[in-house]
Amino acid sequence: MLLKIIDRLEEVIIASLMAVATIVIFVAVIHRYGSGVAIPGVQDWLLAKDLSWAQEFCIILFVWMAKFGAAYGVRTGIHVGVDLLINHLKGKRRAFMVQLGLICGVLFTGVIGIFGASFVWENGMAYEVLTALGRDVGEHFEGPTTPDLEWPTWIVYSAVPIGSFLMCFRFLQVMVKFARTGELPSHDHGHVDGIEEGEVTEVGEAIEIAEQREHAHAGMSDGEWRKTHPKPDDEKTRGGK
Amino acid sequence: MSALIIFGLLLVLMAIGMPVGVALGLTVLTFMFSFTDTPIASVALKMFSGIEKFEIMAIPFFILAGNFLTHGGVARRMIAFATAMVGHLTGGLGMSAVLACALFAAVSGSSPATVVAIGSILIPAMIKQGFPLRFAAGTVASAGGLGILIPPSIVMVMYAVTTNSSVGALFMAGVIPGILLALVLGATTWWQARKGNYPRLPAASWRERWQAFRKAVWGLMLIVVVMGGIYSGLFTPTEAAAMSAVYAFFIAVFVYRDLTFKQVPKVLLDSANMASMLLFIIASAVLFSFILTSEQIPQDIAAWIVDMGLGSVGFLIVVNVLLLLAGNIMEPSSIILILAPILFPVAVALGIDPVHFGIIITVNMEIGMITPPVGLNLFVAGGVTRAGLTEMSIAVLPWLYAMLGYLIFITYVPEVSIWLPRTLGMM
Repeated sequence: MLLKIIDRLEEVIIASLMAVATIVIFVAVIHRYGSGVAIPGVQDWLLAKDLSWAQEFCIILFVWMAKFGAAYGVRTGIHVGVDLLINHLKGKRRAFMVQLGLICGVLFTGVIGIFGASFVWENGMAYEVLTALGRDVGEHFEGPTTPDLEWPTWIVYSAVPIGSFLMCFRFLQVMVKFARTGELPSHDHGHVDGIEEGEVTEVGEAIEIAEQREHAHAGMSDGEWRKTHPKPDDEKTRGGK
Repeated sequence: MSALIIFGLLLVLMAIGMPVGVALGLTVLTFMFSFTDTPIASVALKMFSGIEKFEIMAIPFFILAGNFLTHGGVARRMIAFATAMVGHLTGGLGMSAVLACALFAAVSGSSPATVVAIGSILIPAMIKQGFPLRFAAGTVASAGGLGILIPPSIVMVMYAVTTNSSVGALFMAGVIPGILLALVLGATTWWQARKGNYPRLPAASWRERWQAFRKAVWGLMLIVVVMGGIYSGLFTPTEAAAMSAVYAFFIAVFVYRDLTFKQVPKVLLDSANMASMLLFIIASAVLFSFILTSEQIPQDIAAWIVDMGLGSVGFLIVVNVLLLLAGNIMEPSSIILILAPILFPVAVALGIDPVHFGIIITVNMEIGMITPPVGLNLFVAGGVTRAGLTEMSIAVLPWLYAMLGYLIFITYVPEVSIWLPRTLGMM
């Protein structure tokens, strides 16, 4: 149950970050040109709005999306490597190599998560937390802020530890599932919506119709046919106008 | 020495089959931990700051724009337009397949998706008309890769970001080579069809062509939004990408009505998934190139190659062979992210134009899409036709040879690539 909530939350977060980033840049561009147009009232209102923070905000949104999305990607199996050698192996050997690869994934994301967490702690979080608790901050200093939005960088950078730990957890999940079922998640790079199985007959029919028309025109192309058979037929085959 | 350790480590880790991003990251961690005194904790910060560039953010936006238009409905419109324009020529549906692939690939930005979207409609239609399976599948698989040369191209953004080149100049530089390659593939198709005496379609009237164009043009305008916006200076490349995403959303939902509002979150999620995967590799690749630079490896390799007296002609041969080999086992983004930082300084030292070099790499990547064993287009075309990888590899051979010939042409005639951006004053 809790897992399902995390899964869903992960999906909602990354999809929303994508949407918000797009809207922010769109609005910033419209604003830039909109405020140059002299519409009384509207122009002043637009000029009063300062959107210079849009780029920085977009970068932050996308980095957060990237960190959570990378974890989601482990679940959907989109991270691929060079699987040439592995695919030549069979049975236990292959299973061993796959697990080895996954362990490396756990190791890397885990290490980055720990480093990231300590970096975030040292660069402002410690100061913030200790001050809030009314304790002595000791050697900890107030962290820097971002240039435009002036947000504390430790909050912004916390995407790295949070995302990495989540990714680490996803790798562990895949390991367990692989050990149990021997299945790995895999991403279909060639998936396209709106292509159904029925499509084939539909196109086939279209071509049959084209062929029939060609026969009806005694093997001539439409252009040739019209030269020799003016108006009446033209209207009939094309359904008027 | 450190170069050998780094690349040896990377090769071993990649051979195990772990994701490319993890292999790159672990190589850096292991090397830093064992051989340097650099504070290893700074690695975590680099995972963030490595992708903290506004230029990189063009990638998620372009993916989103492409995904909005990666739909069977858009493919059908492109096919209808292409068939109306070139279906009556020798090669018939084969020619429309090349044109439809070029158009759809440029808009969707994904080669495998192009092969599936165009292939699952046109390949059965071609077989039904009496084309051999090999010809049908070969045309679509080879033309499906055109998207990475015709702007907007994510692979080019990757190159631009890795080498600090101009995205706008690269996009503009891709226009003529992209159209030329489409013509080369079309000519190969034409020649094959003439030998085999394959069927053609009756010619469409200009009115039908206009009708088909009117339906396809909304999708094609995406290219105009991006290129026009960047060239006129209205938008930066990243802004152009964001605008094209909004445009694509508008067209897909309100004009084409292929998508309903309910499906939009799914498109967002899929795009975010894809973009995050690429950003993960980029973050690790930035780490990797950071360690390469701090060990002076690109400079050493540059000096070594310049000393060998290969000259730019010999160097470009080496580059092409290396990239083609890499293209056999890895996918385009990883190759560019790993190899561009190493090859680029050498190219600059030898006086090769950065933009021209980018186009050479892109054409190489395109060929890599149809060379076994990892040519993604071969796999998906095999999936569409239910043919095996060997069968598909044979099927694309005529087009593969044509592309290799074209690669030599592009490599040694830089004017083809740099004339347009130079004339437009973009470089």
